[in-house]
Amino acid sequence: MAVIAEPDRSAIRRRRRREVAFRVSTLVTLALVVGPAAWILLGVVLRALPHWRWSVLVTPTQGAAGGLSNAILGTLALMAGVLVVAGTLGILAGVFLAELAPVTGRRWSVTGILRSATDVLAGVPSITLGFVGYLALVLALHWGYSLLPAILVLSVMVVPYIAKSTESALRQVPTSYREGAEALGMRQGYALRKVVLRSAIPGVATGLLIALAISSGETAPLLYTAGFTNTLPKVALIHHPVAYLTYPVWTFYDYPTPAAHYLAYDAALVLLVLVLVLLVAARLIVARTQRHADR
Amino acid sequence: MARNIRGTWIAAAFLAAGLVAAACGSASTTSTAAKSTPKSSTSSASSTASTSSSTGVTVETPPGASLTETGSTLLYPLWNIWAPAYEQKYPQVHLTTAGTGSGTGISDAATGTVDIGSSDAYLSTSQKAAHPTLLNIPLGISVQVIGYNLPGVTAHVKFNGKILAQIYEGKITTWNDPALKAINPGVTLPSIPIVPLHRSDGSGDTFIFTQYLSKQTPSGWGTNVKFGTSVTWPSVSGALAEQGNGGMVTGCKKTTGCIAYVGISYLSQLLGDGLYYGELMNGSGNYVLPTSSAVSAEANYFTAKTPASGTISLINGPVPTGYPIINYEYAIVNTQQSSASTAKAIRSILEWAITPQNGNSNKYLSQVSFQPLPPKVVAQSVKQIAQIK
Amino acid sequence: MAILGGATGAAPPAPPVKAMRRASVARRIAAAGWAHESRIWKIGGWVAASVPLGSLVFILVVLGHKAWPSVVVNGTHFFTGSAWKPGSTYGTTVHTHGFAHPAGSSYGAWPLIAGTLQTSIIAVVLAVPISLGAAFALTERLPGWLSRPLAFAVEILAGIPSVIIGLWGVLTLGPFLAQDVYPVIADHMPDVPVLSYFRNPVGHGEGLLTTGLVLGLMIIPIITATTRDLFLQVPPLPKEGGLALGMTDAEVARRVTLPWVRSGIIGATVLGLGRALGETMAVAMISGAALNTISPNIFGTMGTIAAAIVTQLDSSFTDGTGFATSALAEAAVVLVAITILANALARVVIARSARHGMPVGRGG
Repeated sequence: MAVIAEPDRSAIRRRRRREVAFRVSTLVTLALVVGPAAWILLGVVLRALPHWRWSVLVTPTQGAAGGLSNAILGTLALMAGVLVVAGTLGILAGVFLAELAPVTGRRWSVTGILRSATDVLAGVPSITLGFVGYLALVLALHWGYSLLPAILVLSVMVVPYIAKSTESALRQVPTSYREGAEALGMRQGYALRKVVLRSAIPGVATGLLIALAISSGETAPLLYTAGFTNTLPKVALIHHPVAYLTYPVWTFYDYPTPAAHYLAYDAALVLLVLVLVLLVAARLIVARTQRHADR
Repeated sequence: MARNIRGTWIAAAFLAAGLVAAACGSASTTSTAAKSTPKSSTSSASSTASTSSSTGVTVETPPGASLTETGSTLLYPLWNIWAPAYEQKYPQVHLTTAGTGSGTGISDAATGTVDIGSSDAYLSTSQKAAHPTLLNIPLGISVQVIGYNLPGVTAHVKFNGKILAQIYEGKITTWNDPALKAINPGVTLPSIPIVPLHRSDGSGDTFIFTQYLSKQTPSGWGTNVKFGTSVTWPSVSGALAEQGNGGMVTGCKKTTGCIAYVGISYLSQLLGDGLYYGELMNGSGNYVLPTSSAVSAEANYFTAKTPASGTISLINGPVPTGYPIINYEYAIVNTQQSSASTAKAIRSILEWAITPQNGNSNKYLSQVSFQPLPPKVVAQSVKQIAQIK
Repeated sequence: MAILGGATGAAPPAPPVKAMRRASVARRIAAAGWAHESRIWKIGGWVAASVPLGSLVFILVVLGHKAWPSVVVNGTHFFTGSAWKPGSTYGTTVHTHGFAHPAGSSYGAWPLIAGTLQTSIIAVVLAVPISLGAAFALTERLPGWLSRPLAFAVEILAGIPSVIIGLWGVLTLGPFLAQDVYPVIADHMPDVPVLSYFRNPVGHGEGLLTTGLVLGLMIIPIITATTRDLFLQVPPLPKEGGLALGMTDAEVARRVTLPWVRSGIIGATVLGLGRALGETMAVAMISGAALNTISPNIFGTMGTIAAAIVTQLDSSFTDGTGFATSALAEAAVVLVAITILANALARVVIARSARHGMPVGRGG
């Protein structure tokens, strides 16, 4: 005979309390994340906007005053270099790890070692990379403060990131695509390029853009590799220092003149806008693919 | 979908190409602008031009060159004023400046990474041994002030090396300590804790400040801690470390009861923030403010003692009216340059910088509160510059 | 094309035979290239995938070579000693074990190692629950029109350069905490073990807790974004099953969603930990960047290895014997070793949880 047990009221109350606490705490934690972000962004914008001049974008730095065109172009040059070097290496490495690496059941495989090295490199502090870049590239190879050591150091920093995002984008491509390509008699390389990689382009592009956003905001690895200069970047990989946007923020915020402080905040604002543009672009690509995929 | 994506990428590629083109375009236009304006604007300056008979400094006409300077963050503002002025007169030379710190200035000049290094501190014996071809050439004189944040105290508080050393050792901890009261009769010192600030980064300011402490208390600080661009600071409860001179000023501003050593370039900022600076006891036991006459009194005393190499500490001189913490700011240059034309360009810039009518005129130096070199030191610097080949 | 021709008034050019032939040659080469495409992909992939390992080896070799004098002279004192002594760089040079260094110089990095671990642990302890909560809110609790922009805000937080966060930390957050928050905490803490660590003095807003908080803030977006993606990958069926059995949302979260993605969360945490261990600029600005101090309470100034490298690298070059730079290189090696250890530890934990745990609610 089935007896319907009297519901344990205290247990229900306890569960309800827990549920309410869970719901409230998730919202509180979200506020704890978004709040400071808004606080920081507003802080920078409010300090930069009152004396913002558009000429900052087109005039180079003169001493600790003037504009930021040298730093803006320098940062763009660095990003272009990172896009070429880290983009190529990162995407190739990601393709390799996802598609081409030999699969073995053994615990210690070459692929496993390469993959863990990628994970470890992602965690290596950027100041360490800058230190090594200074010792090995700037001093030992006599490249001086210049574009190439800066690009290489930044690239080593973001290659793991691009490789990882490429790998995960490729893993999301349905196996049926590969099987279909194979059934049509495509060679593996051709199928990879025309079918698999193409459907993974949004994921790969998003990874690239975020890697660029990361590298554009770095200071520590650039201080001892890129140097700084008041002039616009030269078309030279070595021997000519190159300016970048985080330098004015780091150097001029504690400079003795108000003009320097303005420049520091202007640079911070430009940097934020740049990062924002990259992130929005990444978002748009994702949104677009999702829309197309839904259809 | 694929087509759309490809379209995006093509558009991006064009955008990038356009950017590069724009960059090249603006590069060429600005450089020509920079070259054309100076001729008209500095016609008067060029009459004071290439020679100056009174001090015997000849500024050589440089060949076309692109030079780099890096180093001291205290000299960086001055280089940023000097470089455009020099380039106006000699547009064939381009000088890139950067503020990375004195240590980098020295090591980069030694390895040839930059053409001119700059440093607040002279080369140490071990550096001289490691790089015998490096010169330290005095370019100007800088001063250090001792700032503090004591609301309501409007007088200049007096300090001496013994008391400062005890503050930084944690032995004097409040502002109304008997030792401080004894040398500050008539000043009402509040009973609040002293918060000593020191630089977290290695710094020429730390070098000269700890040198002052070492010289005034040879058996105390001079034995226990010694001096250097970075020292082992005694552990003091509540003490703060700050990044850069600006960090010292902002740190002191937000910390009541602080005490901080700050390069004189930051004096206006220090005062602007409602802080004040003290009188220091010099080598003859007098308390002196960092006025320009007190600085030149100290500088003049050390002029005769300055050796040809420029390596000398200007701290704690015995002149009754001299301010005790001043120092030469140095250019660190390798005598053996890669080419004769680079050497000539470097010589030209340095000669221009130390000439009283040019780089060493008050027009430039007063913007960073530096003092010019005494004539004898200028003459010695000229001799050092001539060694650059 | 036609308009251009008309404008110049020139006769239409002869067909560029040579160019066409060249093009066909190029196409043939390309065709030959594509024929080997699979192999090219494979070789390129091998090379590129070896770059991280190669870089890692290069980094360790360069740093290890530079660090060797310090390793020999300082010995184990480097890990146990608590004074970072550059010695008298302007005084005499002495030799130990054949390596020149300034008299009185000896380097003990224990305070820096401790500070690195302390701040990172505070950051992770704060960031993991907050990130999980925020990720739950973004994926489960909020409607799409609200969660999408908020998720983007989290991404922006991840993209804010650390110099800017450092600037905010030192000028805005630090003074605010020191004046309005820390005194309240410190005044109400009883003087019992553990909690006495939170008692006065509160200092001036630069120090251990402020650094931990800011580091936490910096790694939250990393963990949140990863966790959010993981939550979105949990299939709806088990969750709906849980709800159908009468589980509350909180219970579904604890018994279904979290176990499902546990190893991913550990991975994200290690990623965040890595960033916290190595963060440089912000820490240099807000920790107090002390070299010889282990903070006596949670508010005091301290330093980390990364901050010490960036603040001391310049003045290390004034040591003509190179010993100061060598000590910094050894500190950098230690820092890399700590990140490798953290990574290895995470691997072990993930492997364990994969062996033990059923992915879905283990009952009980």
